[in-house]
Amino acid sequence: MDKGRRDFVRGAGLVGLGVAASGPFPSRAWAAEPIPLGWVGPLSPPGNYSGGQEMKWAVQLKADEINKAGGILDRPIEVFYEDTKGQPAEGSAAAVRLITQNHVAALFGEFHSSVALAEIDVAHKYGVPWIGTDVWADQITALHYPEVFRVSPANSLIYLKVANWIADRGFKHVAILAENSDFGQGGAKVVADIYKQRGVDHNVVTVELNQQDFTPALLRLMNASPRPDLLEMVVAGQAQYQIVKQACQLGFAPTAKTAMIGSSGLLQKEVWEVDGECAKNLLVVDVAMPKAHWNDQARAFVENFQKRYGRAPTGVAMEAYDTLGVLAAGIAKAGSTDGKAIIKALESIHYTGVHGSYSFSDKTDPPWAYHQFMDVPFMVIQYTEMNQTPEAAAILFPKDWATTDKILPEK
Amino acid sequence: MDYFALLAINGLVIGLIYALMAAGLTLIFSVLKVVNFGHGTLYMLGGYASYYAITYLGVPPPAGVVLAMVALFAFGVVFERLVLHPMYTNKVERKDEYAIIVTFGLTVLLLNLGIVVFGPFSKSPPPFLAGALIAGPLIITYDRLIAAIAAIVLLSALSWFLARTSLGQALDAVSQSRESAAVIGINPRRMYTVAFGLGSALAAGAGALIAPIFALSPNMGELPAVQAFIIIVLGGMGSVGGSIVGGILLGVVEGLGVGFFPDPNRALAYTEAFGALLLVFTLLVRPTGLFGRPHARLE
Repeated sequence: MDKGRRDFVRGAGLVGLGVAASGPFPSRAWAAEPIPLGWVGPLSPPGNYSGGQEMKWAVQLKADEINKAGGILDRPIEVFYEDTKGQPAEGSAAAVRLITQNHVAALFGEFHSSVALAEIDVAHKYGVPWIGTDVWADQITALHYPEVFRVSPANSLIYLKVANWIADRGFKHVAILAENSDFGQGGAKVVADIYKQRGVDHNVVTVELNQQDFTPALLRLMNASPRPDLLEMVVAGQAQYQIVKQACQLGFAPTAKTAMIGSSGLLQKEVWEVDGECAKNLLVVDVAMPKAHWNDQARAFVENFQKRYGRAPTGVAMEAYDTLGVLAAGIAKAGSTDGKAIIKALESIHYTGVHGSYSFSDKTDPPWAYHQFMDVPFMVIQYTEMNQTPEAAAILFPKDWATTDKILPEK
Repeated sequence: MDYFALLAINGLVIGLIYALMAAGLTLIFSVLKVVNFGHGTLYMLGGYASYYAITYLGVPPPAGVVLAMVALFAFGVVFERLVLHPMYTNKVERKDEYAIIVTFGLTVLLLNLGIVVFGPFSKSPPPFLAGALIAGPLIITYDRLIAAIAAIVLLSALSWFLARTSLGQALDAVSQSRESAAVIGINPRRMYTVAFGLGSALAAGAGALIAPIFALSPNMGELPAVQAFIIIVLGGMGSVGGSIVGGILLGVVEGLGVGFFPDPNRALAYTEAFGALLLVFTLLVRPTGLFGRPHARLE
């Protein structure tokens, strides 16, 4: 039995004994059956289990908060957690299990786009709502399945802006290291198209996620003529640590000659343990708001997450926390656990979470915009000191939030 | 030429680590006639053992490597006595299948236990020595250099031990014929335990040496285990010398392959394919591998 379920059972028992204050649902005794919800995400290899674990923790926190506050429709929620291992076949099987055995009202979560694409086929077949937490491939919402919603960015939503910013910053020769997945190759295509339009010389190097030694490829890039002035990683999770460390040890990047930019995996504190000084001057695309713009919910979430799990949450955890928040609000608005009613409610929802105010677009041009949360907050930050948190890092983009316009080390 | 040398040296260094890992695997195979599918997890445990020795006991990184090897030797001995021992008795009928299941089970168990015990987030011990050796166009980090030297020392010591000590010769005798070795007074079961312990210690040494170069994660042993299997087939099943040559060859071929493959965009993704191609060509020419002996099977 997973922890969420255990918590629920323990809570129900305590309520029955009249010790309501010490259980997870202290304010009431539940007369109704819980609403089953299905979480999907990687919790073991070859998936990105560190990202998956962080997402699961955030969901557990939110689930407890929802139940403590009275549940939804006078019913507690019960989240069933399925480890999809970063593999499409596992994701598909997990979705079928959750729908047919646990009879979940909706599915949510996931970290890997390829797995999400397998899951949404199942969700579509059964007419069960599905909300993606941190899956970026455009295709996910571009398929226009009515059941599919996304709170995380689409590749085109973020990388298009990042690529334009990179071109604006005057980078001329960009080497793109892209993982061999729907997310990586899709993201690389988005940026490559922009670079082509903007006249930025670029090449895409495909990376397998299980690789550990990137040195031969980095040596090849380092010895290329002209040498890249930016190394851009479209790679999820902690595989980036290896690339950063090895590029840095070769004296390649991040340096004054060659800057380096990556994504959310580099926001975990372990980047300092693994990469040490090499993480200094690293540029990171951070799907989050600056701390100064956090709302009360965000501040409370960060504090509670830190207290419960002993580490600061990243933007991915915030997305996961909000995914369940959006879903719960959708069910409450629908007034039912019927799939069609939830979908209809989500289409017109306005929910305030830690990442701001959520609503889903009904536009189909561009295709990925359908059921996409369009106002995903994101920024490009740069670590300027050792052991710096993402919140304390310098902000370079967007202009409204920027704390500096200098990329270090300066050329 | 500089670029070629740079890639070749990097490949040589990585190849030596591969060789260390593969030497342990082939030692176990040659003596026990068991393909240890759990070898990658022993490599992972070695990395973590070194990390915790350095972090919590405060020992210097080289001592961390030694402690990891000692700890995994002990683990290997216990595992062999408790789990593999029934294989040599009449309790187990299908010995080959039993060996596959228990060593594969070891992988699944330790991998998942690793996520729970060590946590899902990457860790890294401090470097052996920070910085890099720069000689003209050649760049090699001190960590890689030290790991390569340590691998050479350990592989040399293993070769010397197997060739020049009575225990090593006893292991070799059992690897050739368990029954003949028993006739001259060698206890094969004891040799199995020693071989599994030594093989585990070598995997741990490789994991501990690689830890500061890459990073520690519970699934860090998956790819090296696959490479170790390629190496032992390439070098010849059961040949420790073959695994050393095979490891170096694989490291160099992979490095040069990535560096010179005509399509630079796909070269890195094809890293493992270069190793597989090397294996296929070698087996076409020498079906028993570079230094393999025919008829390696549990009696």
